[in-house]
Amino acid sequence: MNSLKTNPSLRLARPRVCLAALVLLLLAVAPAARAQAVIEGLVTLAAAASALPPGQRYQNPVGGAIPPPEPPAAIVYLAGKFPETTPPPRVQLPQKNFRFATEVLPVRKGTTIEFPNNDDFYHNVFSYSKPKRFDLGRYLKTEKPPGQLFDQPGVVRLYCEIHEHMRCTVLVLDTPHFTKTDAAGKFRLAQLPVGAYTLTAWLGEKMIREQKVELHDGQTLRVDFPTP
Amino acid sequence: MNSPTYPANQSQNVQRPTLAVERSLPNSPFPTSYSLFEIRHSLFAILLVFLLAPAARSETSWLDRLDDSLFLSTRDGTFRTDLSVLAALELYSTGRRPPGLLFGNDPQSINPRLSLYLDTRLGNHLYSLVQLRWDRGFDPFAKPDGIARFDEYLLRYTPFTEPWINLQAGKFATGFGQWVHRHDSWNNPFINAPLPYENIFTISDKSAPLSAAAFLNRRKVSDRKADWLATLWGPSYTSGASVFGRLQKLDYALEVKNASLSSRPTVWDAIDRNWSDPTVTARLGTRPNAAWDLGASFSRGGYLIANPALTLPAGRHTSDFPQTTIGTDISYAWHHWQFWAEAIATRFAVPRVGDADNFSYFLEAKYKLTTSLFTALRWNQQFFGKVPDGTGGTQRWDQDAWRIDAVLGWRIDRHLQTKLQYSYTHQLGPLLQADQLLSAQLSVKF
Repeated sequence: MNSLKTNPSLRLARPRVCLAALVLLLLAVAPAARAQAVIEGLVTLAAAASALPPGQRYQNPVGGAIPPPEPPAAIVYLAGKFPETTPPPRVQLPQKNFRFATEVLPVRKGTTIEFPNNDDFYHNVFSYSKPKRFDLGRYLKTEKPPGQLFDQPGVVRLYCEIHEHMRCTVLVLDTPHFTKTDAAGKFRLAQLPVGAYTLTAWLGEKMIREQKVELHDGQTLRVDFPTP
Repeated sequence: MNSPTYPANQSQNVQRPTLAVERSLPNSPFPTSYSLFEIRHSLFAILLVFLLAPAARSETSWLDRLDDSLFLSTRDGTFRTDLSVLAALELYSTGRRPPGLLFGNDPQSINPRLSLYLDTRLGNHLYSLVQLRWDRGFDPFAKPDGIARFDEYLLRYTPFTEPWINLQAGKFATGFGQWVHRHDSWNNPFINAPLPYENIFTISDKSAPLSAAAFLNRRKVSDRKADWLATLWGPSYTSGASVFGRLQKLDYALEVKNASLSSRPTVWDAIDRNWSDPTVTARLGTRPNAAWDLGASFSRGGYLIANPALTLPAGRHTSDFPQTTIGTDISYAWHHWQFWAEAIATRFAVPRVGDADNFSYFLEAKYKLTTSLFTALRWNQQFFGKVPDGTGGTQRWDQDAWRIDAVLGWRIDRHLQTKLQYSYTHQLGPLLQADQLLSAQLSVKF
């Protein structure tokens, strides 16, 4: 510090060095940051299973028409090492008309999920899965149950203690690059970093398909997951 | 039964001593005293079941897959039939003759139970249920060698999409009260039933007392479980038809069945009582919001079983002696708490005695301590009315009782659950069966 005070030339030299270093860093990083690839493809989905009917042995059946279950879908994600990014946003998984809003929900590790009850009846969301065990208890429509942090990757199966037919699978992923196929099995992953990765199509705990992919700058790669 | 008899006024309102283990009843055929070793042995077995059950957890992922695959369905789901299994293993340890609806005389007993449920749906309007059960009797140890039965079979028609009206016929649980909704081993926070649903008292469905004195003498002998009744016998899977539904916040149910609420399992099938004295039961309930469920129930029907040993007064018929029951129930739930309460008053018209009344109630609370652990506490009480004793006075026709049940439960996952329960019963008068009961239950469901 004393030398800076006493030597004016050094006082000027330091900002120049910093600026040069910054420019060099930007030049080095820019190609990687700019380099983005896209993967598109088709996952051949399993046939839709018939809906699990609501239990009704000892009380009035659930009122009203329960909407049909979602058509089958797959989760497609890119596995590999990715730099740390901002924390994932909070996600809502409502219960409405005696169903979870979706039956398969992919989230990034570290996501907090909220479970609003949009029915006039109680729901009691719980999970006994190893990556996340919790039991929300019974909550009214007007109440807000505490959000749950999903900080371990893996498969978390959600149920309602009151309505056995209500089910949802949360797939907690250690990657920011994932998507859910549409009902036809089509998917598109954009803004992917270049490099070598594994692309995975998750159709269920016992139906996981993988392919190695090499992504290049500006490339749109076509990857299909046909029935094996 | 070889139980001793006592003079009519002996021991009435006698406060009995507190510890049952070393006490004996003169001339009782039942073992009344047990070594510390036997009790320790039983306690060890119970604790072993409770503590080792979680070890099975890692093996239950295959139960998940099995659970998801036990069904048959058409491609469009119009027809679907689901098979589900509920298996339970229960251990009971008492100081002496088991209380309530635990049959047999063995103070340490193991009771396995296997229930198979077949839920079938055809479209949105037809539903059927069959429950096949194998166990050592509907009530533990009533059939020590084991027996398989169809406990429930019903067909239900729901004409509209909304559950405004449902028509149902078959053999099924009663619509009286709310306990039926949680009576199976998976949903019941406890191992046994509340006092009104299992406390045997001196009303018999097979024999009529020859005098008031003879009727009053019954209260001084051990429960004759094969001959006497309870206010409601468990879920009362009697046979008949019902109409029930929900209109906005109002629930209603009306059923006509072949046997009374108090009737024993041996007369629950449709062919058992010839429909000579049908029982009508109704419940009206309201749910102001999701947290509350309040209801009132009524039931009336004949409880006596016509048989050669039943000697009724001349010109009287079994239908002249009904069981009439009214009850109210309430439940409340909030977050990890659940509360239930029922109060039931019942009147039996007893030949040569008159109306024998009793009133019972219970308060029940369950709290989830963690995702897996829960605890529950239940307070039960039953009071008996007075009947003419034949000498110009009146006497209580059975012994008032209270019981407290405490349970610690461990729901290990969606398929495994274990419970450990302690019950203590306090009864006025001489101690005729165990006042303490320690029990454990392991349930597997898929």
